[in-house]
Amino acid sequence: MTEPQAPALPQAERAHPECQDDPDLRAAQEARLRAAWATPKGWRYLTAVNNTEVGLWYAGSALAFMLFAGALALIMRAQLAVPENDLVGPDFYNQAFTLHGTAMMFLFAVPIFEAVAILILPALLGARELPFPRLSAFGFWCYLIGGVFVCGSILFDAAPDAGWFMYPPLATEQGGIGADIWLLGLSFIEVASIAAAVELIVGVLKCRPPGMRLNLIPLYAWYVLIVGAMILFAFPPLIAGDLLFELERLLDWPFFDPTRGGDPLLWQHLFWIFGHPEVYIIFLPSIALLAMMIPTFAGRPIAGYSWIVLSAMGTGFISFGLWVHHMFTTGLPSLSLGFFAAASEAVAIPTGIQIFVFIATLMLGTVRRSVPMLWSMGALAIFVAGGLTGVMLAIAPFDFQAHDSYFIVAHLHFTLFGGMLFPLVAGIHYYYPLVTGRMLSRRLGVWSFWLCFPGFVICFLPMHLTGMRGMPRRVWTYSEGLGWDTLNLVSSLGAFVFAAGFLVFIWDLIRPKGEADRAPRNPWKGGALEWLQEQPPRSWGVRCVPQVSSRYPLWDDPDFVRDYDAGRFYLPDAEEGRREGLVTSVLDAEPEQVLRIGGPSVLPLGGAAALGGVFIFATFHWWWLTAISGLGALVLILRWVWTGTGEHPEKPSKSIGLGREAALYVSGPKSTGWWAMFITMLGDLTAFLGLFFGLFFFLTVHEAFPPLGLPVPGVVWPMASLGLAAVSWLATWGGRRANAAGRVGAFRALLALALATGLAAAAALAWGPWAAGMDPTAHSWPAIVWALVLWSAAHAGVGAIMQGFCLVASFAGRLTPAYDADIRNTEVFAHFHAFAAIVTAVAFAAFPEVREVAP
Amino acid sequence: MTRPARREPQEAARRDRRFHGEGPRQTRGLWRIATGPLIWGGHFLVCYWIGASWCAHAGPGAGLGPASWGVAAATLAALVALGFAFRALRRVRGLSLTDDDLVYEADDPEERRRFLAHVATLLCVVSFVAILYTALPAVMLETCR
Amino acid sequence: MAGRRPGPRSKKAEIEIARGQETRRAGGRPRREPIDGDRKLDRLAPIALILPAAGLVASCDGPQSALVPRARQAVEVAALFEWMAWGAVAIWAAVMLAAILAVLRPAMRGGSRRADRLIIFGGVVFPTVVLAVLLAAGLRLLPDWGDSPARLRVEVGGEQFWWRVAYARDDLAVPVRTANEIHLPAGEPVEFVLSARDVIHSFWIPSLAGKMDMIPGRVNRLLVEDPQPGVYRGVCAEFCGTGHALMAFTVVVHPPESFEAWLAAEARPAAPEALREGPPDAAAEGRRLFLDHGCGACHPVRGLVEAGDVGPDLTHFAARATLGAGLAPISRETVADWLRDPQALKPGARMPGYGALMSEAELETLADWLLELR
Repeated sequence: MTEPQAPALPQAERAHPECQDDPDLRAAQEARLRAAWATPKGWRYLTAVNNTEVGLWYAGSALAFMLFAGALALIMRAQLAVPENDLVGPDFYNQAFTLHGTAMMFLFAVPIFEAVAILILPALLGARELPFPRLSAFGFWCYLIGGVFVCGSILFDAAPDAGWFMYPPLATEQGGIGADIWLLGLSFIEVASIAAAVELIVGVLKCRPPGMRLNLIPLYAWYVLIVGAMILFAFPPLIAGDLLFELERLLDWPFFDPTRGGDPLLWQHLFWIFGHPEVYIIFLPSIALLAMMIPTFAGRPIAGYSWIVLSAMGTGFISFGLWVHHMFTTGLPSLSLGFFAAASEAVAIPTGIQIFVFIATLMLGTVRRSVPMLWSMGALAIFVAGGLTGVMLAIAPFDFQAHDSYFIVAHLHFTLFGGMLFPLVAGIHYYYPLVTGRMLSRRLGVWSFWLCFPGFVICFLPMHLTGMRGMPRRVWTYSEGLGWDTLNLVSSLGAFVFAAGFLVFIWDLIRPKGEADRAPRNPWKGGALEWLQEQPPRSWGVRCVPQVSSRYPLWDDPDFVRDYDAGRFYLPDAEEGRREGLVTSVLDAEPEQVLRIGGPSVLPLGGAAALGGVFIFATFHWWWLTAISGLGALVLILRWVWTGTGEHPEKPSKSIGLGREAALYVSGPKSTGWWAMFITMLGDLTAFLGLFFGLFFFLTVHEAFPPLGLPVPGVVWPMASLGLAAVSWLATWGGRRANAAGRVGAFRALLALALATGLAAAAALAWGPWAAGMDPTAHSWPAIVWALVLWSAAHAGVGAIMQGFCLVASFAGRLTPAYDADIRNTEVFAHFHAFAAIVTAVAFAAFPEVREVAP
Repeated sequence: MTRPARREPQEAARRDRRFHGEGPRQTRGLWRIATGPLIWGGHFLVCYWIGASWCAHAGPGAGLGPASWGVAAATLAALVALGFAFRALRRVRGLSLTDDDLVYEADDPEERRRFLAHVATLLCVVSFVAILYTALPAVMLETCR
Repeated sequence: MAGRRPGPRSKKAEIEIARGQETRRAGGRPRREPIDGDRKLDRLAPIALILPAAGLVASCDGPQSALVPRARQAVEVAALFEWMAWGAVAIWAAVMLAAILAVLRPAMRGGSRRADRLIIFGGVVFPTVVLAVLLAAGLRLLPDWGDSPARLRVEVGGEQFWWRVAYARDDLAVPVRTANEIHLPAGEPVEFVLSARDVIHSFWIPSLAGKMDMIPGRVNRLLVEDPQPGVYRGVCAEFCGTGHALMAFTVVVHPPESFEAWLAAEARPAAPEALREGPPDAAAEGRRLFLDHGCGACHPVRGLVEAGDVGPDLTHFAARATLGAGLAPISRETVADWLRDPQALKPGARMPGYGALMSEAELETLADWLLELR
């Protein structure tokens, strides 16, 4: 290190009140920690919720889905190897490419980010666990059930076959249940992604070690924060789109049917508002792995920490302004194309900064060669090439030629392999010892790289030319003599070389490993917090939660590891035999709370199974089973919330070591639960805005919207709904304040009022269109009105359940003036719901009025 | 470069007692780093909306007329807003950008504030470029096309 | 999964040969420099079918290449592509060189200033300038619908899985309707008016211009200026269902005078030999089969039956180069095969097979009659 060493910290400052020098005491602490964090055995292993288990399951499932989708790709490459091939027919091929894209995007690329983050984020933050392990487990089970459902459909020849972006009218008009499987399966998996996003955002904001200010957090955590936020704003528009899509398929509400006032382009907008940020959601976390590895192998801190944060942040934002570049050929005005071309070029700047910061770091350090570095360099070579073709494609006139051709296929695989897969493999090599205690083989790593890298290039580089020579994507066969024959054969050969290399990697992952593979502690000589970890890894995560004051504490502080091993930091013990983690403040990571974290439970698995039943049974229109499943899910989730959260601790606070105390119960903005609710509702609000975008979209594509002559909800009922919603909102807010002031009776009365008026508001909102005889199948106007009514009513229902929960909790003594987390979280929900309900009511009343004044 | 000794835990505990938890409002230093991109986002949406609604009504081939004035006004407003944000954020010391940027200087909240301001400033620069890019089509295209 | 593609082997082989021949016609007359000496193309499509399949080397550009541009729009984009591609190669090489040097060389002493410069110049300044230039260049090439110079408008409708085509011009009283083949006058601007009724398709003739989607409920336009004489191939570029891969069409760009002749011929009703009710000979028998089996319910044949609308117009069916939207050259065998079982040749085709409803002799008679529709 270039900087002079800091003076060693006086021993006394670190000493725990109890003398950590006593080996017996330490052994007893370790025994208690081990007991508290023990992984359940036997079948109960499935009830485990610890990040080390859930993360492994998550990663394993994601890789399994990846292999499945990869096998589909090999079948497709075999089919395309020669012209006029009849290895598979169009029916299978169309299912194969649809599932390949769907599985790679939704079942591999996004979930592997969540898996890796769940696995390593606690270690990076010196934490024992993320704040909501049961939510992670719930998300994982949702993902697994949904993924198996979607992928399994191909075995019954019932898989979706309209391409992974499911453009209507092809996908809405299609017979069979393929499209429903896609929609419902994916919606269910999106639930898992949003759950993971909430978990990870709260993890980064609230579960950092004391002293880890925002300027000290590992770059990976910055990326996780940004990507989590992007998931919150990107996935909900797709959920809104899915809702409209399924309403059209199931109930014939014509959102995308041009003969009844709909427009197929609405789906494309909603899909790509999700779809483009998703590309960055996939690639930023893998780039983040590079940002962790490169300093280690360069042997110096990252050159330009704030530049990396800037570029991740800038990319994240600008990625929301690019969606139309997937729609350049849909005939939008050239001016609009120009704006989106501009944004698509602008996003290259922060991305480029990232690359140059990495190069600068490598330049300033002396690089040690290693398998992760090898894969990282391969990633760089591929990603830069993919980025450059991306810059070309952002130029709309060029895209007119390249769009939907094999050029696009080449481009997207270059960005995804270079931006995601290669860094991921590098990251797996790098973090494998952290997770499993074993090293991956250097020899196999080099072998697999030198098969995968050339294999990839041989497969995808020629596709640029194939595309320029006019080969459209998604064709199951092609004629001889169009100039594509040799190129396709070469691509197919490359695909199999790549697959061989990847199988070497997979073998390395799963092969039995002996003592020779055992990892030493800190095998890569990294400086970041995660390399504190003992080998072999312990189930408790960290021995104690360290006090941090630099970005690379292992490099900067020679005594750090010794003190950590002696448990001289925070929470070295589990006196009460509970799983505990430290919650700290957002900006400067001041300790705020000792969070009692949920242990093994069957509820996440049960809840996910029941919720999965809702989606799966609905696909087959088995409504009774759907209803029973839904009820089961509700009961299980309520039970989970009742038993697993907001427990009253046996004492108000406890000592966390280093002479500090932290509360055991907090509510409101200090608590992780409040933040989780706040973040979830941000996503929910985005979904609402997605629906609302539909309303405005129809306004722009119609001469007059609502078209003259169609019934409208009038002014009276929407305004009545608005008034009732406002009362419900104010009553919830007032109730929370009354409770805090100790007026429990007033609180209960206000809450009951809020519950009743909330439901009444939804009823009034529905009554307007009902009384006017608005038929949702007649036209897109009544259809979007009813969709918004459904949205509002569903939220009113959820709000009522939460308010009812608080009422019952108040009577049961669970919710008191001192322990008020439930009502505080309900209040957050009420704020967001009131906004949506009021906006909806105003729109219902105002849209027809505005139309009639307009000339 | 020196790194200070860890803070006295007692002092930290004293701070804790004054500390009443931070909601979105207390953590605005964090959200503020999004100022530049948000200005870009607002500008982008306004330009897109002006362009789309003007061209939808005027039809292809119509001159941009008022739409280009709208874009110009939006661009001017965005640049002015960006300028204010930039000025407010200009607390970054002139250190090397790559090496040791603002690290290890002092382990205190001021350092964290400087860091956030630094990121926010850099984001303003990127947003500035992006805003100019966005305005370019309205300058170069004379009609809706 | 092998063998899932329907259809007996022998037929497939025929079609393969036929398709190989079909592609021979394509490629357009090289204007600036010959791409392939053997590929001298006739301007009249059917004659080109004779060219032997063996002449084409797989590695050369086919008749569907954006890199062999033959109209203004495609030429501009190809030039832009060339610039961008070489620029991208240069930038890629520079970045990789920097990265490899950074890895191989030991720590640069006092390199922090240089690293600063690298990040600021490489990450901010250079991309900002290059991208601005590129963006400006791209914006200039955006299509302009201000005042379309085109007199001739070709209305093309995407259908699962074929193309509805109609020619409109001020001097034509009614649009000239046809299907699955597009003829253009060389050197003249043409406006394509693109729409679809069932699902989204995308209209793409790489040699002439970029693609444009055909979206139900919307009408899109595509301008092609200064097309050069030649025969090209176009395809559907947006996945539109089972038959998507086999939804192609032939584009013939004529010298202006031969285009007028073609258009005049196309505007006429079906050939009189095919229409006459006359003595009970083979032609009249074919006509009877066509009417009795209700073919006219879907396929218009001007002068005979014009009620149908859901299938391709067959008025001058035999004058086209291919059947089944670019699937196979028209011959007695291929037409009979198609009538017998269209799905065997083109999975997903909407036309029902008549193999079970007609005898082999009847199928051949009907095929013969269809070949009269010149």
